[in-house]
Amino acid sequence: MIELHGVTKTFNKKTQVLKGIDLTVEEGQTVALIGSSGSGKSTLLRCINLLETPDTGTIRIGDYQFDAEHINHSVRKQVRTKTAMVFQNFGLFANKTALENVTEGLLVVQKKNREEANEIARRYLDKVGMADRANYYPTALSGGQKQRVGIARALALNPKIILFDEPTSALDPELVGEVLQVIRKVSEENVTMLVVTHEMDFARDVADRVAFMDDGQILEYGDPKEVFQNPKEERTKQFLQRYLQRFTYVI
Amino acid sequence: MGKIFDPQFMIEIIPDILKGIPYTLLIAVVAFFVGCVLGLIGAFAKIYRVPVLRQITAVYVSFIRGTPLIVQILLIYYAIPILVRVINARFGTNYDISWIPAVVFMLIAFSINAGAYLTESIRASILAIDKGQLEAAYSIGMSTWSAMIRIVLPQAVKVGLPVFANFFIGLMKDTSLAFTAAVPEIMGQAKIEAGRASRFFEAYIDAALIYWGLCLIFERLVALLEKHVSKSEKGVTK
Ligand SMILES: Nc1ncnc2c1ncn2[C@@H]1O[C@H](COP(=O)(O)OP(=O)(O)OP(=O)(O)O)[C@@H](O)[C@H]1O
Ligand SMILES: [Mg+2]
Repeated sequence: MIELHGVTKTFNKKTQVLKGIDLTVEEGQTVALIGSSGSGKSTLLRCINLLETPDTGTIRIGDYQFDAEHINHSVRKQVRTKTAMVFQNFGLFANKTALENVTEGLLVVQKKNREEANEIARRYLDKVGMADRANYYPTALSGGQKQRVGIARALALNPKIILFDEPTSALDPELVGEVLQVIRKVSEENVTMLVVTHEMDFARDVADRVAFMDDGQILEYGDPKEVFQNPKEERTKQFLQRYLQRFTYVI
Repeated sequence: MGKIFDPQFMIEIIPDILKGIPYTLLIAVVAFFVGCVLGLIGAFAKIYRVPVLRQITAVYVSFIRGTPLIVQILLIYYAIPILVRVINARFGTNYDISWIPAVVFMLIAFSINAGAYLTESIRASILAIDKGQLEAAYSIGMSTWSAMIRIVLPQAVKVGLPVFANFFIGLMKDTSLAFTAAVPEIMGQAKIEAGRASRFFEAYIDAALIYWGLCLIFERLVALLEKHVSKSEKGVTK
């Protein structure tokens, strides 16, 4: 599980993007993080794995706890071995095959031997339905396939939590389904996940909890049915209405 | 004597001038690789805004780009003996610079020159690799060092390949200036042969043809290398 207390982040000494975030993701839970553009969702994820350095606050990942004031090289290393991230633009290593993308962390960070790393990687590529593309370079994969490799890469590291930052936003509409399906499958397997998404159906159907973020704060947090049907905050209502409207147009 | 142009002499001296090729290649290759090391240091100092080192790099690059190569060569040529004398006076040592071969001076001068130009090319090649891959490497727990060595630099080398190749070919031609320090590279050899018979034009035609030939060979090699590189990493491996 992970736990955040009073996490703040200010860019360039003036724009406060995170205004004191408290958030808990229980072991094995999938939490969907929703909110309008610019509300700070990506920044929050990046503060958890320290791609950005938070200014204040305390973060606990499993039994490892640290606070923002005391982040150094070794804290970063610890945190990053306990977390994994799936990126909107995949972040696959272009000079490595699908298999090598997955084995990279196993070899370099976890120091496993090549046989073991290959075996683990093949298992996870199989899980995301990419076993037959193990020897393909990213340039030869579709967006959906790339993202599935990205998910396999994260899963293979067996992290305490996987952070997803809009994993389907860069995909062609017809490829969104295959990736969401994989994420749904993973979420049923006791993997702890925090998923930033604009896919409201996915948030409602797959997530155990939904957090609505607005202007650097978590305004609402709870059971998806509860949040979607009876939002307490006015801002949440407005936000959901915008999406619901879009939804009816599509129909 | 008295011939306006002596083709026979021109052909006769070719083997002697060819003896300069090892020196030409030695200077070009050493300067290129030392230059790559200096360039990497400079590129990282700039990209990661390393205090002090970054300012030093800025002055270094600006100076080298802003002064003619021949002036840099002469500066190094005269600076090193002075430096040795200063060291001798200072520490009571008795180093004799006369045993340092002239080619060493040229290796130093060309390396320093190449380092400045390569700083910019290497920096550009590294920045051409999208930051997402570096962040992904961090996110799985890799160090900056591992990420650079295993992910970013291999791709940067490919991106920069045409630039680096062109630079090397230019460098090879520039080494002709090493004759000023009496290094017996292609141009130095040509000058010696020319002086013996006072037939300069013939010798310099030979030199020109040899440089041209070397360039054609390297251009061919680079083309093959580029083809090889673009073929790998497209699609599938076994
Ligand atoms: N490195 C940065 N430097 C300065 N400002 C930044 C930086 N990163 C993000 N911001 C600002 O922080 C705010 C929140 O950005 P963030 O990317 O976290 O939003 P988001 O909720 O993920 O939005 P989206 O849904 O569009 O991805 C934005 O106003 C953005 O301009
Ligand atoms: Mg975002």
